[in-house]
Amino acid sequence: MTSSVLLSSMGLQCKQSFVRPMFRFCLLANPILNTVLLYEMYRGAGEENFFAYVALGAGLMAVWSAICFSSAGDINRERYSGTLALLFAAPVGFPAIVLGKILGNTFLSLASIGISVATAALLFGVPVAVASPGYFLLALICALAAFAAFSLVIACLLTLSRRTELYMNCIEIPLILLCGFVYPVSALPAWLRPVSYALSPTWAVELLRMGVWGVADPAAFGRKLAVLLALTALSALLALALFRAIDRQVRILATLEVR
Amino acid sequence: MVRRFFSQALLFYKGRTAAFSLVEFLCLDTFYPLVTMAFYCLLAAHSFRTTDLTRWVVGNAFLLCTNACVFTLGGVFLGERYNGRLRSLLAAPCSKLSVILAGGVFPALLAAATVAVGFLLGGLVFSVDFQGLSWLHTALAILAAMAAAGAFGLFIATFGMVSDSMHLILNVVSYLLMIFTGAEFPRTQLPVLGRWFGSLLPLTHAIAAMEQLWQGAYGAFWHLLLLELLVAAAYSLAAWAVFRTVERLARKRGTFDQF
Repeated sequence: MTSSVLLSSMGLQCKQSFVRPMFRFCLLANPILNTVLLYEMYRGAGEENFFAYVALGAGLMAVWSAICFSSAGDINRERYSGTLALLFAAPVGFPAIVLGKILGNTFLSLASIGISVATAALLFGVPVAVASPGYFLLALICALAAFAAFSLVIACLLTLSRRTELYMNCIEIPLILLCGFVYPVSALPAWLRPVSYALSPTWAVELLRMGVWGVADPAAFGRKLAVLLALTALSALLALALFRAIDRQVRILATLEVR
Repeated sequence: MVRRFFSQALLFYKGRTAAFSLVEFLCLDTFYPLVTMAFYCLLAAHSFRTTDLTRWVVGNAFLLCTNACVFTLGGVFLGERYNGRLRSLLAAPCSKLSVILAGGVFPALLAAATVAVGFLLGGLVFSVDFQGLSWLHTALAILAAMAAAGAFGLFIATFGMVSDSMHLILNVVSYLLMIFTGAEFPRTQLPVLGRWFGSLLPLTHAIAAMEQLWQGAYGAFWHLLLLELLVAAAYSLAAWAVFRTVERLARKRGTFDQF
């Protein structure tokens, strides 16, 4: 039953998301515009490998924006539509429905990586240069899982607030800044790097870049992958714990729709 | 009439921010723009391999006003439609442009303050030397940029009468400002058509004027400031003309609530 709910929630989410202009921006326009902006910024410096920072970076920024503005905002949309309480009380469980939504968004947002790669190739002739395709694919799957788990934590936290619009605006750029989507984490001030390495998307981005540049040391790739999987599991556990705490609180206080 | 204008301005601003606590308000209107600025400065430091971030601090400080001038002003009709006031507004025998302008008064004041804070904090964090810079000229450049960006926001807002995709339009516009105004990379990198398009956008001449000011070229500074004011005047006129047409169409077809 849970898997069918997961699938139908995912399918419905894909349809609902695509009709929203903001999601269409995140999915279609954002990767194109970010690719142009990043290409021009890196071109002036004589960068040669545009794929890792420009095409992949723009794609990842778009994936994060899509997840951020949809997964986080979906709770608020359900609240405005008056369906949040119904979803919350559904026998299949609220986490399964939210997970279905997040998987739907994550699945759709994959297109933005393709769009940014295509933009870089068509407009600027940036070759699709992935030195280790197998490792890249593995990193991409794990990265999407990490993004989904991270979104689940955010979605849970935002269940309790009606100021979702504010929070999703406030977390979009800081995460892109901290996780080094378009530059290495070493470009950050030293005091910020520990924060960066505590976030799973940082490791996901590093693994993807290793896949693009070529994995010379599989053991190093394995170590980073292990950290990413551990942080993803931690996010999933945190989301579960948060959901239980929130579930208890909103049932006692009956404040789910009025917070 | 003046009293009504300011009472509308206050009501609009209170309506937009009343749900936020002071911390949340500061997050949205100050922290988020400043983090965005820090992100693009860090990106420029890495992509252009430079430690002199003066031009990016200046360019991004100017872009800080997009939050108020593009998103707040540009989305005025979106808010009115969601709140069900669009019909009353159109039928009212008052100037609709003054209603949009009223919505921009407090956000514009805040934007000017944010630009100034952006200059100071950006200068402090990224070690920009402001010694020798004329603050009077800088203030004039900020005011001219605000006027142009505000007029541009008004122009964009008129499309909110006939479009349901304002989030998409506003976000695309904010990226166009980043790409074509010279805030993130020198405009000389753009093709001729791109440079021409950039010269039609707000902020372009103000950013160039600040660069001239930095080099002590006061003659060029005044020339560019005049061009920025011409852009402001052109967008104000365009907003007025488009608004009259769109309003007439909306009244004739009775479709302003259904686009």
